[in-house]
Amino acid sequence: MSTTRSTRAARRVTPFIALAGAGALALTSCAGGGGSDDSSFSYLGQTQNTAIAGNLEDLGAGACATAEEASPLSTDSVDGTQWDQQMQLLAGQSGLSDISMAAGTPALMNEFIDAGQVVDLSAALEDLGVADRVLPAADSLIKSLYGRDALYALPTELNIEGFWYNEQLLADNGVEPPATWDELVDAAATLDAAGVQPFVASGQDGWPVTRLIGNYIARDLGADALRAVADGDASLTDPEYVAAAQAVSDLGSAGYFGPAAGSIDGPTAENQFLTGGGAFYYMGSWALAAFNDEELNQIGADNIGYLPFPEVEGGAGSVMDVPANVGIPVMLSQAGYDESSEAWLQCIAENYGDVALEERGQVTGFVTESDVEVPELTATVQQTIAEAGTGLLWFEAFFTPEATTVSQTNGGSLATGQISGQEFMELVEAANG
Amino acid sequence: MHRTLGDPKAVLVLLGPALLVYTLVMLVPIFWSLGYTVMDGNALRGFEFVGFDNFARFFQDPTAMETLWFTVRYALVLTVLQVVVGYLLALLYVFVLRRSSSLVRTAVFFPVILPTVAVALLFQRMFELAPTVGPVNAVLDFLSLGSIDWLGESGTAFWVIIAMDVWRSMGFYAVLLYAGIVDIPDDVIESARMDGASGLRLVRSIVIPMSLPVLLSAIIFSVNGTLKVFDTVIALTNGGPGTSTTPLTVYMFRASFQYGSYGYGSTIALMLAILCLLVTLFIFRSSRRDLTKG
Amino acid sequence: MSADVIARTTSTRAPSPRARAAKRMLQRLPALLVIAFVLVVVLYPLLWLVLGSFKTQPEFLSEPFWSLPQQWNFDNYTEAFVEGGLGRYILNSAIATLPSLGIQLIFGLGAAFALEIMVWKGRGTVLLMFLAGIMIPVQMILLPLFTIYFNLHLTGTRWPLIITYVAMGLPLTVFMMATYMRAIPREMFEAAELDGAGVYRQFWYFAVPLVRNAIFTVGLVQFFFIWNDLLVAMTFVQSSELRTIQVGLLNFTGEYGAVSYGPMFAGIAVNVIGTLIIYLFLNQKVMKGLAAGAVKG
Repeated sequence: MSTTRSTRAARRVTPFIALAGAGALALTSCAGGGGSDDSSFSYLGQTQNTAIAGNLEDLGAGACATAEEASPLSTDSVDGTQWDQQMQLLAGQSGLSDISMAAGTPALMNEFIDAGQVVDLSAALEDLGVADRVLPAADSLIKSLYGRDALYALPTELNIEGFWYNEQLLADNGVEPPATWDELVDAAATLDAAGVQPFVASGQDGWPVTRLIGNYIARDLGADALRAVADGDASLTDPEYVAAAQAVSDLGSAGYFGPAAGSIDGPTAENQFLTGGGAFYYMGSWALAAFNDEELNQIGADNIGYLPFPEVEGGAGSVMDVPANVGIPVMLSQAGYDESSEAWLQCIAENYGDVALEERGQVTGFVTESDVEVPELTATVQQTIAEAGTGLLWFEAFFTPEATTVSQTNGGSLATGQISGQEFMELVEAANG
Repeated sequence: MHRTLGDPKAVLVLLGPALLVYTLVMLVPIFWSLGYTVMDGNALRGFEFVGFDNFARFFQDPTAMETLWFTVRYALVLTVLQVVVGYLLALLYVFVLRRSSSLVRTAVFFPVILPTVAVALLFQRMFELAPTVGPVNAVLDFLSLGSIDWLGESGTAFWVIIAMDVWRSMGFYAVLLYAGIVDIPDDVIESARMDGASGLRLVRSIVIPMSLPVLLSAIIFSVNGTLKVFDTVIALTNGGPGTSTTPLTVYMFRASFQYGSYGYGSTIALMLAILCLLVTLFIFRSSRRDLTKG
Repeated sequence: MSADVIARTTSTRAPSPRARAAKRMLQRLPALLVIAFVLVVVLYPLLWLVLGSFKTQPEFLSEPFWSLPQQWNFDNYTEAFVEGGLGRYILNSAIATLPSLGIQLIFGLGAAFALEIMVWKGRGTVLLMFLAGIMIPVQMILLPLFTIYFNLHLTGTRWPLIITYVAMGLPLTVFMMATYMRAIPREMFEAAELDGAGVYRQFWYFAVPLVRNAIFTVGLVQFFFIWNDLLVAMTFVQSSELRTIQVGLLNFTGEYGAVSYGPMFAGIAVNVIGTLIIYLFLNQKVMKGLAAGAVKG
């Protein structure tokens, strides 16, 4: 190859590479401004949760304008599937935002609390004189969630769970809303025989199925049964606990969750229910947003009924205990807690409940004074909360992160009846070490 | 020649930047991670020295063994398929399509550039059973073979993942191996044909031996890539059902970032690196060629 | 191997032109079927993606896989760009990818030249050190790297991404460049030196142009490796200002994880078609290089 040819080739390549290099330096020097900034009130949340950020922004524009002026709100988000990972990385460097969604698993949250990264909100709210703005039900839920005597997160949501059912489908097949588990199984058999899919659940997510186990245990063995396992007084592989998992597995083997239940994801399950593809849909009240959406809900919001999780005959639990949760609540970081954070905290405690209800129809764990009219289903939820006994936490609430993953990734197999209650409990118990 | 080409300062200038970045960004963290393997804990709790506990735990952990077995099975099957299909395609390009192979080569390479998220969605929809029946099950129904819940059972899920990765990468290996076959000198082929060799015999006795270096590079490259599969599994099955399609990389990632045990996670990573090393050495030895000498 | 030789050695001797044409078509039939099958298998998904980008959410969930969209508006695209911020994601991906690629190639070329062409003790070991990098699972170095970047106050900027991508791509780049450089006859460098060329001239004006094929091939492969990367981008960039397109596609989710398939597919379609154009352009260069390489000169 001649020298001239290679020089020409080199001359053609050179500018390209030089441009890339120069471009690199130029563009990277205008890198995005990041890192924590003391003059703003920073919020970090999950991408999948737009409500909290929205509510905070509405507050900043309205009731919390003074706090906003002193320390403007800046919001950012991280994908939910990476949430715990990011939280761990940030917490390890004391880099948590001023306010953020809490860690996904209570076990991880407890690590944060032990490491002194989280503000003690009982004390903080007391100091600010707004401790009475948190509903007692929410307060006790959060405390029992983290096993602490003090409040470490704000109840930005208060959800109850239960079976939402398609009233039309039940009526058409002569099925009464069941009051006990056995009646539920009978109802499922009747519906199945008539060609209606009894249960709609996301086997892929897993937790809609494992919730049933936890609730069965609570109804059968009492509200403290899962706490007992966490404290070491009982084991998931004890026969009475296995019976609960087996009850769900039996539903799966009978095919009551429909075909390929393990591959159905969340949005698909919801859509299935809302287009009349199934009778009973176990879900939390956060789904009301979809139920009240006329485009998504094709069976009509007034066609949906709420059924509390049925009793187990001869069980020690009460049907007045309601599976409830606070979603992923919101925590404040100790490192960033200063005067501006205090101002924001006070304002949030006083106004968050109203804003959430008015702007988004959301039920939160804050006291509300708003008398805005709410859809019928929301009113049902509010009433149930008011009349509830103990709040029941979910099946994996006290598990280690590993056991939570094992439980949820095997939930789908229960829904298809592929694994028995015994096998399931053994897997989870082993991971709970 | 050795005067200019042995200049130490020039070596530093040319090699320095790459070596510096590589050392700081890859080697230092690797050794750091090795340090974690004898510790327990995470950034939040702090670390404590536990000696070889993590290693003992690895060999006694049934999930670790399950993931190890899956990783090996997956790498083996996928490498064989990738290289064989790629090679067949390359032969197609060279002997059947000849001059017009450029268009087909480009088209078949196309899946390589697709983002994993998109391909996973595609395959999920193709193999689904509910709520709507995907094409694969539709064909099975048509042939009266009955539908299968592909992603709901670990046996069939394995094959869906393999199918997805073969579809994605066959174009790449085809082009890689094509470059090797195309380099075979004309006169060798021609004289072989004049001796009467054609078709399969030609491939077996001339083409394969002469494209062996590229073939070996492709195999080594494939093995190292497949042993470290991550994106595909996360996007398609998330390791499920249960942990039956979880490879070592996913288990390591979960252990470190979801369960908060960096020590154990780093140990799993080390095991994987050792596995890659052993397999690569094994391939080197059995071919008795040293890649660095060409 | 040139096409002519292959043509000559595989042609058959048939008597009449018509019979020859018919026989040739029949011979080629199985091959044509195979090619057609391969093309369909490979290209149908692109069609499906583009069709999908016109569908609405209920259509995705309820209608069968192969159904055509019921409307042909660009709503999903608008939503993807306006509400989803697709434009910014594309820009971020470009800003993360192109400099990384450029730096990687330059560093890699220099390193390969130093390791392969130049003569000094220990170069074999250093080359092996780079090769070992291919075997490292990236998850292994995520946490230490994050800690390093955090302590250097680099988190929240683009630097962690670029630095990581450069380092991760170096093993393969160095390896491939070294392989190609090995094929350059040493006599050429001797002649250049006799002509008075210093080592840097030998590098830039001799070695680099001769490995053009490698530059484009490696450039092509690494471009897509970086562009499609998910894990590194997810870990080191939290801010939605700096998010790349792959991470952004994951985030086309609404409240509580309801995936908005329509805009997501629109985003994917834009991503794919954009990169397809880049791919076709670079690929042309690679193919030309491969063909030219067959006639070594």
